[in-house]
This record gives sequence, C-alpha cells and structure tokens, in this order.
Amino acid sequence: MKKANILLFARHFLKNAFKSKVIYIMLAIFMLLTAYAAVSGITNYSEQNAIRLEHQQKARQSWEANPDKHPHRMAHFGSFAFRMKQPLSVFDYGIESFTGNAIFLEAHRQNSVNFSDAGFSTGTLRFGELSMAMLLQLVLPLILFFLGFSLVVAERESGTLKILLSQGAQWKEILIGKCLGLFSLALLFLSPIVLITILFLIFSEASALATDSWQRAIVLFLGYTLFLLILSIMSIVVSTTSNSSKNALLTLLGIWLIMVVLVPKTTQAIGNAIYPTPSKLSFQSAVERDVLKKGDSHNPNDPYFNRLRDSVLAVHKVDDITELPFNYGGFVMREGEKTSANLYKKHHDSLLFIYEKQNNISRYTALLNPFVAIKNISMAFTGTDFKGYVDFQNQAETYRYQLAQEMNELQMQYIGARVESSEGKTNVVGHEHWEEFPDFAHRMQPFKSSVQEASTGIFSILIWVIASFLGLFYLSKKAKAI
Amino acid sequence: MYRLLFLQFLRSRAVLASLFLILVLGGISIGIGHQFLSQKKTAINQVEKYQQGHIQRNVDLHKDDLGLLMYYVKFAFINRPNNLAGVSMGQSDINPNVQRITIKNLEGQRYDNDLTNPMNLQSGNLDLSFVLIYLFPLLIIVFTFNLLSEETETGTWRLVSIQTTSKVRYLLIKLSVRVLLIYSALLLLLASAKIILSIALDMNYLMMALLAFFYVAFWFALCFFIISFKRDSGFNALLLLSIWLVLLILLPAGINAYVTNKYPVPEALSTMISQRDGYHTKWDTDKVATLKKFYEHYPQFKEFGYPIEGFNWTWYYAMQQMGDDESAEDTRAFRQKMTERETTSKQLSAFLPNMHLQLAFNDLAGTSLSEHLHFLDATGDFHEELRLFFYPKIFKELSGDTIDWTKFDPKYWNDATDNKGNIEYIWPLAIATIIMLAGCIVISRRFH
Repeated sequence: MKKANILLFARHFLKNAFKSKVIYIMLAIFMLLTAYAAVSGITNYSEQNAIRLEHQQKARQSWEANPDKHPHRMAHFGSFAFRMKQPLSVFDYGIESFTGNAIFLEAHRQNSVNFSDAGFSTGTLRFGELSMAMLLQLVLPLILFFLGFSLVVAERESGTLKILLSQGAQWKEILIGKCLGLFSLALLFLSPIVLITILFLIFSEASALATDSWQRAIVLFLGYTLFLLILSIMSIVVSTTSNSSKNALLTLLGIWLIMVVLVPKTTQAIGNAIYPTPSKLSFQSAVERDVLKKGDSHNPNDPYFNRLRDSVLAVHKVDDITELPFNYGGFVMREGEKTSANLYKKHHDSLLFIYEKQNNISRYTALLNPFVAIKNISMAFTGTDFKGYVDFQNQAETYRYQLAQEMNELQMQYIGARVESSEGKTNVVGHEHWEEFPDFAHRMQPFKSSVQEASTGIFSILIWVIASFLGLFYLSKKAKAI
Repeated sequence: MYRLLFLQFLRSRAVLASLFLILVLGGISIGIGHQFLSQKKTAINQVEKYQQGHIQRNVDLHKDDLGLLMYYVKFAFINRPNNLAGVSMGQSDINPNVQRITIKNLEGQRYDNDLTNPMNLQSGNLDLSFVLIYLFPLLIIVFTFNLLSEETETGTWRLVSIQTTSKVRYLLIKLSVRVLLIYSALLLLLASAKIILSIALDMNYLMMALLAFFYVAFWFALCFFIISFKRDSGFNALLLLSIWLVLLILLPAGINAYVTNKYPVPEALSTMISQRDGYHTKWDTDKVATLKKFYEHYPQFKEFGYPIEGFNWTWYYAMQQMGDDESAEDTRAFRQKMTERETTSKQLSAFLPNMHLQLAFNDLAGTSLSEHLHFLDATGDFHEELRLFFYPKIFKELSGDTIDWTKFDPKYWNDATDNKGNIEYIWPLAIATIIMLAGCIVISRRFH
C-alpha cells in the first residue's frame, strides 16, 4: 500500500468532483441553509437570553423593593428561576424548545416549569427545527451519499476499475483514496459551521457564561468529524458491494430513511408506549397522600405534629409554645418544608426514572445507529439534552428550598413567639434581609456530567469508526473488479 | 393487461416490503393514538373520582372558615378530547386538557404544564397524521420513481412504444395500479382508525379523509411530473427525496424559525411577574385603596365595606383579584401575540401542502393552539363563575356547611366551535394539486 497512490486517488476524486456543476450548486445551497440556520440560531439565543435576563432582574428588583415584612409573606412572594440558553445552543437547539423556561419558586409548593416554545407553537415546531446541527445530521449525510454512491461501482461499470487494478493499483489504495477524497469534501461542508461557532464563542459574551464552552466545542466537532468519516466509508462500502450505480444509490437512500427518519422516532414512541407517564393528578395526589400520611400541619389534632410539639416543649422545659425562645409557627413550617421537599423529591425522582426508561430505548439504538449516536453526543455537549434540563430543575428546586428555609429561620429568630398572623406592619423583619438572600442564577452543568451522558454515543461512534475501517479492509480483499 | 401490470408490480420485493412497512407503522400509530386517548380518559376519570373526596376532606377541616376553605379547594375544568385527537395529537401532548383551579388569582394557575418528557415532545408523536404526512409521500416516491425509467433501463420501453397506441395511456395505466394500491392502504388505515378509536362519522372525520385524499393526489401528481422528464431512476429517486426533504423538513423548519424569531413572547414572562407583584405588594399597601379598586371591578360587593382591622378574607380576596387585574394588560398582550403567531403560521402554511394538512388536522381534531387558547379563555370564564358564586358567601362569613358541595363535580367545556368541518380547508390543497396536475398535462404532451 503506497501513500502516494492513496493521495493520487483522493486528488483524482476531488478533481472530478469539482469539474461538475453539481458540487457548486450543493455547496451553495448548503451554505445558504447554514447561513439561515446560523442567523436564526444566534438571533434566538441572544433575543431569548436578553428577555429572560431582563425578567430575572425585573423579578429581583421587585423582591428587593419589599418593605419590612413578615418573612412568611416573603416566602410566598417567592422568586423566579429563568432557564438560560446554553451558548452552544446556537449550534444545536436540542430539547430547549420543548422544555419550560420559567418557574415560580415559593414555599410549600413545587410549581411546574412553564412557558416552553413548544407550548407557544402552532404545531409547525413538530416538523423539526432548522439548526446547524440538523443540517449536519440530516442534510449533509444525504449530500455525501449522493456524491459517493457511484465512486467505485461506476468505475466498475465503465471498465476503468479493471484497468486500474491491472496497472498495479491495489484495492486498498483505491478504497482508502476514495474515502479520503469524500471525507475531505465532507470537511469542506463542515468547516463553515465550525468557523461560525468559533467566531460566535469568541465575539459574544456567551463563553463568559460557560467557561468550558471551548472544551465542549472541541469534543463536539471531533465527534462530528468521526461521524462524517463513518458516512464516507459507508458510502464507499455500499458503492463497492452494489452491482449497479442505481442500486448503490437506492441502498444509501434507504439507509438514510431508516436510520435518520424512521428508527429514532419509532423507538422514542415505543419507549413512551411501554413506560407510560403518569397523569399529573396521580403524581400530585401521590405526593399529597405521602405528606398527609406523615402528618397534616393544618389539622390541630394531628398526632405527628402534636408529638413534635410535645417533644419541643419538653426539650425547652416549657408548657406552652408561646413560652418558647423562638416562633413555633416558623419551626413547624421548617419541619414541614423538609418533609414535603423530601417526599416530593422521592416522587419526582421516580418520575424522572420513568422518563429515563422511555429515553433509553432510543438512546441504546445508538449502538446500531451512528445517527442516533451523534445526536446524543451533540445534545450532551451543547448542554441542550435531557440531563441539562433536569439539572436546571434541580437547581431551581434547591434554590426554592433554601429560600423557604431562610424565611422560616428568619421567622423563628425575629418573630415573637406569640405571633400567629403574618398580617400588618407590626410583626416584621427588616427589609435588608431580602437583599442579603442572593438571586437565582442558572449555572451550566459541568463538563464531566456531559461526558458521562454522552458515553453511549461516544462509545458507539468509536466502535463504528473501527468497524467501518475493518469493513473496508475486509472488502479490499474480497471486492470484485468486474 | 391490467391484471398483468398489477402482478408485475407486486412481484417486486421492495414494493411489498414498503407496503407492509407502512401498514405496520400505520397500525402502530393507531395503537399509539388509542393509548393516548385512553391515558387522557383515565386521567379524566381520576379527576372525576378525586374531586368530591378532595372537597370533602377540606370541608371537614375548614368548614368554619369558608375563606380558608376556598384557599385550598380546587375545581376541575376539563376539555374532553375528541377521538380524532388519536389521529392527530397536535399540541394536545403539551397543552393540558384538565385545569384544576382555586378561586385565587387565575393568572398564576392557568398556564401550569402537564407532566411531559421533553425528549418525547422533541421526537414528536407517531400518530396517523405523521404516517400520512411523512410516510405516504415516501411510499408514493418508492412506487413511482422508476415508473418510466425502469422501462428504458431494462430496454422494454421501445417495445412498449411500438405496441401501444398511446404511451401516455400506458404510463397512466401503470400509474393507476400504484394509485389504487396506495388509496387502498389509506382507506384501510382511515377505516381502522375510525373503528379502533371509535371516531364518530361526522363532518370533521370526513373532512380529514377528504384532505388526506387530496394530499395523496398532490404527491402522485408531483411524482408523475418529475418522472416525466425521463431521467434515470437514480436521478429521479434523489430528486424526489430532496423535494420531500425540502417540503417536509427544511421549509417547515425555516418557517418555524421565522415565526419564533419574529414573534418572541416575553409577555408570558411579564404576566407571571406582574400577577405576583399585583397580589403580593398589596400586603404592604393601604387596605382601603385595595378594597376600593376591588369594588370598582365588582360594584355589587360594595355593601361589604372597608374592614381594615387585622386580617379578613374580603381584603385577602381583593388582593388576589389585584393579581389578575394588574396583569390584565400583559395577559392581553400575550394573547395578542399568540394570535399573531397563529395567523402568520396559517398564512404561510397555505403554500405548503403538508403544513397546511397538519394544521388543518389539528384544527379538526381540536388539538391546535387556537383550540387551547379558547380553552384557556373558557377556563377564565369558569373561574369567574366560581368567584362570583363564592365571593359573597365568603364575605358574609357563611359556614362551609351551607353550600351544596355535591354539585361541584368536574365541569366540562362545551366547545361552541366544535364542528369545524369547514370547506375552506380544502382550497390550498386542491389548488396545489390542480397546479401539479396541470404541470403533468403540459409535460406529458412531450411524449407524442
């Protein structure tokens, strides 16, 4: 196997490719699509984040503008968490359009994350979103298959393959050379997208939000490079094994249809059908039932809260809650919040577990399907995946819990033991405490957890690269010239 | 000859396999639709069963304090799904069809989401409308891309052109075999959907069937137009698949990006904040001022006066009301923005048969955005009814026992605009089909 020969075949392919008009048309169309996707991705990112940041600040201003107040009033005044879009979401929207953007955080209640783009959509969103990632996952494979389907089989049909082999070229050199040529064309299509993403990271303030954006971008585009390599080899393998150009093209189109369109959607639907999501009421009433089982703080004769009261009285050696050194209402709410937050978490975790099971069916098809693998990698490293969303929910819930408990602590500490009502200007805590409690800030999930999330995808892409090379080598021994 | 052409066509393994595949996927999609409907029905049954127990439990605890009782009690308002939603789930997977609300401020409650897995939403529903909109065109492409080119490629075209009087007629007969098979598959799926999902045989269903009929006709015309250029099979397959990609994925995605960026919805977030501030800041402001504003809204309650000593429920619910009143402007703007989105999408979709079909299906099945917006409006009316019923009783400090709670079963929304089998839906599709057919006629002249 001579390196010079391989390069010769690669160069020859490229020279031929650029002789025809088709490649220029395709490049032009792809560039236009890329430009449109980039502009709408960047517009959407900056517009949405500006809106969300503005509202986060607006909500904070009215929080801080509160006068001296009873802390429990502040616990219900509550706060908001707005989900910020990830910097790399300009490249891949992932599930960001389908998750809620804003959540109201208050004591006792875990509210739902509301207002997703999907909820605002007229239904057009379901046709898919035009992002740069989508162009690479959906459109570019089709282009590569088109450019590559006839590479070997057409030479066989025209008889030039026979001549090449009889003149001393090896099968291996021919196949690898053509793969290399096709792969470098693929990189040509990829490069503007990489360039746009890099420029965006340099010139926008986005990378300040997530300092690991560069690491993420590197892994991301490494993944796409390998993906394109797999596609190039796949085209050559199909082209070599087919008995006519027409069949090679039809096979590749079939692969595209099944692997890109049919399988991902069907497997997700099957996952959803096998592990049905519980209804909202059954979820909420299960939490409510568990909380009531533990004790109902609204019931004056509740055994659990009576025992709690008695034990507190005993510890402080007093007979009545009004003699306690702290506000007992605040204490009960602190305990109640702890219980209900724990029980909620338990139920919410099992809900997430159902979602995970639904998603896993499609996720594990990545092993058979490199298109699913790259999708998983792409969403994980742009931070727009399911885990990123769960991470946001967890951050919001943690903040909510801290807010509620901070207010309960203030109530225990500063509100008189005899006070029962939160009304009026007498039983209040100074407003300087409101500023002291920091605002919610959505942190991007750590790089490491994205690696973990994408591990199936990464593993599968690597296996596919190895398998495609093995296939290519095997083929170079078996392939027929006529 | 017809029978022979039929047999010849069915001899191809690819044809049989793809026909089988679409029937299986169609079957699965109907199954998924059935599961979707039964999940919705189970959820509604749960709400039905839950409500009285929920009310009873709270009445037992707080019957002496109606104001406090009404703080807790939730009333269900239900948009019962049309069975056609099993065919076209549209937006009904993300927008809840059950609202459970208290009489406290409305804007803080009515936008609450259902439990959804965003990954499922992203990958989309595999319902019959998907099979029809995405997969039927693919099947039509597979069936027709080599209608003519296989004859030239195998060398039979010359024989045919000598032996038949009209080449076009021969091609049309060949095409009719495929048309017949595809329409049979479509009919089979639509009929099974009707039976399995127990869909009523009403205008909405018939309109869906008619739209589906036109959509398939459109794709046949389009494919025939392309193959009439007499290019080879590979080229036809690639071109048709590219057209499919552009029409079904790229253009709709482009339109979606356009609509999303042109009409961002910050009003939704503003509503959230203004309803909170509208209510909560009243804890610190003058009670009389709050009550005055409340009586401006509801002069009929003026008789309850201005109690300002300590805490009282008249003042409390007046504060709650302020949450809605002070966010009304934002709510209106939000609603306005949604209508603009809807209008723009509909206008653009008139030029794109598949998008038009999807939006029309969603309308017919009651799973569209506008349907949900109407439901939200109706939720507002329902909420107002509850308020007007309970406000005077709370202000009079009546006991919880004076109210007949048994009549508070979950309420169903009577959608006044239920029968939408409007003939207007046909026009965009019919016109697109006619244009394609005209193109076919023009180009098939070249055969003579």
